[in-house]
Amino acid sequence: MKAIKKFPYPYLIKQLPQPTAFVDNDHILVSASDSWIHNFDAIQENSMGSEVYKLFASHSEFHFDDLKRCLKGDKTHKLRHKNIDNSEDVWYESIFTPWFDERENLLGTIIQTNNITQEAIKDAELKRMNTLLKAKSEVAKVGSWEYDIAQDKITWCDMTKRIHGVPKSYVPNVNEGIAFYKQGYSRNRISMLFHNLLEKGVPFSERLVIITHDGKERWVAAGGKAIKKDGKVVKLFGTFQDVNEHVVAENKTRESEQLLTTLIDNLPLNVFIKDKNSRKILVNKSECEYLGLKPKDLIGKTDFDLYDKDVAQISRDEDLEVMRTLKPMLGQETINVRKDGSITNFLTSKIPLLDMNGKVYGLIGMSMDITHMKQKEDQLRNLINVTAVQNKKLINFAHIVSHNLRSHTANFSMLLDFLIKERDGSERERIMKMLSYASDNLLETLENLNEVVDISTNINMDKKSMNLNESIIKVQQNLSAFLERNKVEFINSVPDDLTVPSVPAYLESIVLNLVTNAVKYRKTNAHPVISLTAKKQEDSVIFSISDNGLGIDLNRYGNKIFGMYKTFHNNKDARGLGLYIIKNQIEAMGGNITVNSEVGVGTTFNVYFNEENQ
Amino acid sequence: MKEINSIYIIDDDHITVFGIKKMLKTIVKCNNIETFENGRLALDGLQERISAGISAPEVIFLDINMPIMDGWEFLDEFVTLDLKEKIIINVITSSIDPSDYQKWNDFRLKCWHYLNFRNKPIYKIEVTDLNRMNITSFT
Repeated sequence: MKAIKKFPYPYLIKQLPQPTAFVDNDHILVSASDSWIHNFDAIQENSMGSEVYKLFASHSEFHFDDLKRCLKGDKTHKLRHKNIDNSEDVWYESIFTPWFDERENLLGTIIQTNNITQEAIKDAELKRMNTLLKAKSEVAKVGSWEYDIAQDKITWCDMTKRIHGVPKSYVPNVNEGIAFYKQGYSRNRISMLFHNLLEKGVPFSERLVIITHDGKERWVAAGGKAIKKDGKVVKLFGTFQDVNEHVVAENKTRESEQLLTTLIDNLPLNVFIKDKNSRKILVNKSECEYLGLKPKDLIGKTDFDLYDKDVAQISRDEDLEVMRTLKPMLGQETINVRKDGSITNFLTSKIPLLDMNGKVYGLIGMSMDITHMKQKEDQLRNLINVTAVQNKKLINFAHIVSHNLRSHTANFSMLLDFLIKERDGSERERIMKMLSYASDNLLETLENLNEVVDISTNINMDKKSMNLNESIIKVQQNLSAFLERNKVEFINSVPDDLTVPSVPAYLESIVLNLVTNAVKYRKTNAHPVISLTAKKQEDSVIFSISDNGLGIDLNRYGNKIFGMYKTFHNNKDARGLGLYIIKNQIEAMGGNITVNSEVGVGTTFNVYFNEENQ
Repeated sequence: MKEINSIYIIDDDHITVFGIKKMLKTIVKCNNIETFENGRLALDGLQERISAGISAPEVIFLDINMPIMDGWEFLDEFVTLDLKEKIIINVITSSIDPSDYQKWNDFRLKCWHYLNFRNKPIYKIEVTDLNRMNITSFT
């Protein structure tokens, strides 16, 4: 072996284009091409005859033991090693081949060292990519599959297998793969999609349900694409992703959204959400119906676009207050006036709307239409007022009755007491006369009270449309002797065709009383002049009767003139009942009566007949 | 028997007037009993009397419910009169309305004269009704 210390044809070796070196059994470098020497930063002359390890010493990323093994000369070995050239990594692959002489004696090892930097980088990149892909697939739960048409072989990646719930050793085929899909829509759909992909290369991406190996339903996103060669589909591949949690969550969100929308839309309340500038960003069905607009026409509008200016300003001020203080406004009675002028009463609540950071970005509003309730409330209040007035009248009447009856019974009592004690015959007779007089007075009082009670209990008597002039003429005829005797000038300018809604008996009573009063309280030094007029107003008829009589001091008697048993003049006929009765009659028909008077000039009574039937 | 110079009865009810007169006869001697149908007539009579230099009546029986001028209105004007004497005024009414009693009390407190309150029926006029003291018999 020592015999081949000198290598023949060293100039030939030196020129080999392939970096090649010859090492003897003692691992001494015998000969090498320049290109090989270059790879090891060595100089030709110095290197020959030295141990090959010395040259490898400048290289890294290999085990020294491996190099030793490679130089055993038993078989061909490969070794990767690295050098740094100009601060750049240079990778080499050395192939160690046993070196024999013509008699098959082992002479040493032939080393061929090639620069494989490009391959090494590609390998590293590929490795990195594979790792990345695997990590991605794990994190996103995205698996893949591939189908080789020629071999009819389908392959699943580990993730795809895991999603199916099968072990890594599982070997799938097309039919079994399709059978994993849930019977019905999912299975039919995937069959069709796979067929179309196979036949026509139509790609797909679909969410479907599979039943895993352990029997669980799961949502998956399956995708497929074809690879074509010369217009023919040769290979199919695709992705396979577990989207169960996603779909379930999505469905849940959609369900609760649907629930919320249904709830908000069907609440018997106007619901709206406004942004910071009081622009509506959400409205429900009731709000749309109330404003007669579609949601898209309402979104972005402010109250100034929808309501009367003053009302809108009030609403805007409320919005600002709620968003400033973050205190909800609850159950506030508000009034809305729409652009067309129609008024609605609302019970409104406004609640500030906060974002995740607790900053206000708008408000939720809810309004309940309480117009009907308001109207009922007003009606009720009116009714209470009417009742209160009637109650007061009743109490007043009770006092009148009590007083009037008491005064008579007191007289009876006193007179009877006298009678018992009286011995004198003529005096007794006188007392008896007084008793009889008192009895007559009592009867008359009872009749008067009866008359009043009749009116109060006949409130529901039917009103009829009565011709006013006809009633006046009738009274005038009945009183003709009385009027003539008192030389009354009677001026009736009431229109012939004017009608008033009245209880027939009451109308005559009213005219009769007012006419006779006008005559009774005449001036002694002038002929009585009575003028009657009537005019129609919006929903009432005013009937006026004026005289040139004594007149009455209204400052003094104003609130007593229509009282019972109130008389104001020294008149023997005065009962203090007429005006009290007709006031009751007029009010029972829903009208009223007023008086103007000046002492020494005359008096005018105005009677208002209300058109409106109560 | 007690002697009184002058008595006014102001009442529009003839029977009450008759009764008061009859009852007075038994306890008092008075030659000047005047009756008026309402407050206005009584005030007119009083004014005439004062301007003639005759002293005011010592006792007045006053009804409340009267036409033209009722008892309260009479008192309203009466208390403004510049009278030296304290007059005994017996308010006589059949009213049991508490507001009438209240009105009487208001007058009693603010007026210089003696005011009594009597509810009808009256069977007897007591000597106390003619003496100068405040008495009420609100029954």
